[in-house]
Amino acid sequence: MNMTSKIDIKHLNLFYGDKQALFNVSLKIPAFQTTALIGPSGCGKSSFLRCLNRMNDIVPHARMEGKVLLDREDIYAPSVDVVELRTRVGMVFQKPNPFPRSIYENVAYGPRIHALFKRKSELDEIVEVSLKRAALWEEIKDRLHQPATRLSGGQQQRLCIARAIAVNPEVILMDEPCSALDPIATAKVEELIDELREKFTLIIVTHNLQQAARVSQQTAFFHSGYLVETGETGALFTMPQDEKTQGYITGRYG
Amino acid sequence: MMASLSSLRKRRLKERCFRWAGLLSVLLALLFLGGILGNIIYKGVPAFFRTEISSKLYPNLLNSHARYTADSLWIVASDDVDMYYKKGYADRLSPPQIQEIKTLKEGGQIRLAFNGGFFSHSDSREPELAGIWGGLVGSCLTLLITFMTAFPLGVGTALYLEEFAPKNQLTHWIEANINNLAAVPSILFGLLGLVLFIHFLGLPRPSALVGGLTLGLMSLPVIVVATRSALLSVPQTLKEAALGLGATPLQVLFHHVVPTALPGIMTGVILSLARALGETAPLLIIGMVAFIATPPAHFLSPATVLPVQIFNWSRSSEMGFIENTSGAILVLLLLLALLNGVAVLIRRRFEALK
Repeated sequence: MNMTSKIDIKHLNLFYGDKQALFNVSLKIPAFQTTALIGPSGCGKSSFLRCLNRMNDIVPHARMEGKVLLDREDIYAPSVDVVELRTRVGMVFQKPNPFPRSIYENVAYGPRIHALFKRKSELDEIVEVSLKRAALWEEIKDRLHQPATRLSGGQQQRLCIARAIAVNPEVILMDEPCSALDPIATAKVEELIDELREKFTLIIVTHNLQQAARVSQQTAFFHSGYLVETGETGALFTMPQDEKTQGYITGRYG
Repeated sequence: MMASLSSLRKRRLKERCFRWAGLLSVLLALLFLGGILGNIIYKGVPAFFRTEISSKLYPNLLNSHARYTADSLWIVASDDVDMYYKKGYADRLSPPQIQEIKTLKEGGQIRLAFNGGFFSHSDSREPELAGIWGGLVGSCLTLLITFMTAFPLGVGTALYLEEFAPKNQLTHWIEANINNLAAVPSILFGLLGLVLFIHFLGLPRPSALVGGLTLGLMSLPVIVVATRSALLSVPQTLKEAALGLGATPLQVLFHHVVPTALPGIMTGVILSLARALGETAPLLIIGMVAFIATPPAHFLSPATVLPVQIFNWSRSSEMGFIENTSGAILVLLLLLALLNGVAVLIRRRFEALK
């Protein structure tokens, strides 16, 4: 794995009050690849993901130690603007969470608050390109101004991906993006993840091991707050080095 | 199998009992409500009509101000004549007077007409001339002050406490106290208003300003509590979605949280205003109970409000005032229904947008 690493996490510890959620996690995220984070429920993989765009900032009593370097810059340095960081590191959540506005306004919201356009026509283009990249354009191009909440679950999740793409981030974090979707919608989102890899660096948390195997190039296995094993996805699934990893991927526990 | 059958029967019996109890309580509530409403309507609707006489032949049948007022074809009759003509109460009329009314009736010189004065006159010592205009204007001015103070302060407090304040002992203590304040009897707010606004700040006594500020104090905790529960019901996922796109906390608040919570906030505000509109006790304490025969010209002039006027009228023993009391209650109920209707409309409108 000789790629340049987009994000370099060094000795990360995370605490919620007195409870430690992550123990000394170090991981390199390669650019323009998909990294899957797997592990049993409560192992800290979502908490870890939320450290990468400082979403844990809003959790009261959350405290972290260690370094998260994005392009060799520490995102927890005092000089870093969280707002700017989150435009570089976008996020898609477990449950589709479109704003209760029109489809168009959902995608346009990010560009609007960051003033990424000068004319309305430019915004129209951003919206169209983002929806096309999220493979949603064909389905909804005639009803851009209808409420987003009327879309199906799978469409909503792709809309959320389009919304994240619209601010042109470098990294997209996905927290179990398919857990609320049916198999057909899941297949569509997975296909999309594969295409997005050309432009973005992706990190996806998933409970679905087949999904991790299908969409990722690198896989990291978490267990009760520790990063147990990292490796090239094919290798990790066929020849896990650690006993716990083997136990989890063969279905003995988790 | 038998055991499970008997337990099934027991369960069904319990369920049936519960349903019947529920239905019975609903019916009872409706019965009481219907009784009260029916009684008020029966007594109050006649207040919207008055007896008029088109003859100056018998001046003692006319209202007591008739000899000062300009000539008009139909003159408002005295309240005693009014009561006799409407309901047949003859206690306060002498037999010759009753005879005179009969004569007028035969000549078509006495009639029942719409009581415009009930809406356009202010309070009076004479029930046939008393109206609710002064109380209405006073209520509007007072409510305006209440809204202008309690709405921004209450919503601002709730926004700060819910979205920005650190969650520590102090804010916890403040929150608990606000919740308790919402349950404090309203008359205590009257005492507070008396001390704070009249004794300490020296504002003029029975004015809409003082009344409005006092009711504002009373509405404040209610608005804070309602706003906070509306803000709490905004899903965390919505905030996270906006934060994840790089929105600042202030943008999250004003682009997403407040618009989503707005129907809840507005409903809370309107319902607390409705409560303030019907409030009497605190206003009695701050002196709005005085007899005031002119509508207030501005926020500092002596004023009374509709519920206080109802209270004043209800203490009178004259038949005419008893009718007026019910009539004014009807108007007040109508205003309250209107306010509640607005709250429902706002809620519907915003829910349709979702």
